[in-house]
Amino acid sequence: MAITEAIAVGQELPVLEKEPSQRRIDAYSGVRPRSIHTDEDWARQKGFRTTLAQGMMSTAYVSEMMTRFLGAGFVKGGTMSMTFVKPVYAGDRLTVRGVVKELRPESGGTRVVVAVWCQNQRGEKTAVGTASGLRG
Amino acid sequence: MTEFPKLTYDILTIGETFESDEHLVTPEDVETYAFAVEDHHAWFFGPSPFGGPVAHPTLMANQALHLRHGKYIVHAGLHAKMEFTFLQPIEPGMRVRSRGRVIDKYERRGRQYMVTEYVTEDRAGTALVRGQFTQMLIPEGTRHGDH
Repeated sequence: MAITEAIAVGQELPVLEKEPSQRRIDAYSGVRPRSIHTDEDWARQKGFRTTLAQGMMSTAYVSEMMTRFLGAGFVKGGTMSMTFVKPVYAGDRLTVRGVVKELRPESGGTRVVVAVWCQNQRGEKTAVGTASGLRG
Repeated sequence: MTEFPKLTYDILTIGETFESDEHLVTPEDVETYAFAVEDHHAWFFGPSPFGGPVAHPTLMANQALHLRHGKYIVHAGLHAKMEFTFLQPIEPGMRVRSRGRVIDKYERRGRQYMVTEYVTEDRAGTALVRGQFTQMLIPEGTRHGDH
């Protein structure tokens, strides 16, 4: 989005679609035994139906959405607070969404605060929180 | 000789500190991360508003999250919460390390949690990212239970 375009409370950010395959999880977490992320037998022993994506991968997805929305004002000066409410399993399909919830004056510009969340292919939220960045 | 005790709720002390080794951020790190999270933004591979390439803001989050592994054998855990403040861009070529401090531990609904605040800095000590995370401990011999 061009930085000169108006941003309004209630505005929806462009949606991202993500597919954390086992190969991508391996690249993110590093393959090792006795890991719930990369060792399927171990994940099952720990009570999960298969391996899980790291919760942190969802923060990367939100970071991408915010960087595309606010640009440099997220890379430097951005914030994010996320709670991981449901596991994301290898092979899940995630949708990453955001809605502007507040515009706050800060440092001669505006801090844009966005409610953000990820949901899986069953419509269940897997991570929820807020992210913000500065707009000059 | 360094010993690595098993991490348990009881052994963990509020106020104890962790420090990672220094890590050289390479273009290969950025490329691998881009593949992992499906984010190949042009700023990560070429000019950016900060001059040259920058890394994904969350690139070094695992360095922080794994701080406890430098001190303990961690049986298993789940990440419950994560907070970031991105202060300065991380750039390929930087040598960065993370430092953390346990600021809380608590039990809720039969599960055990630890809370760590952290900072990731460059070699000059400039803070790049600050944050805080909450991790659930899965004790040895137990299962988290399916969801």
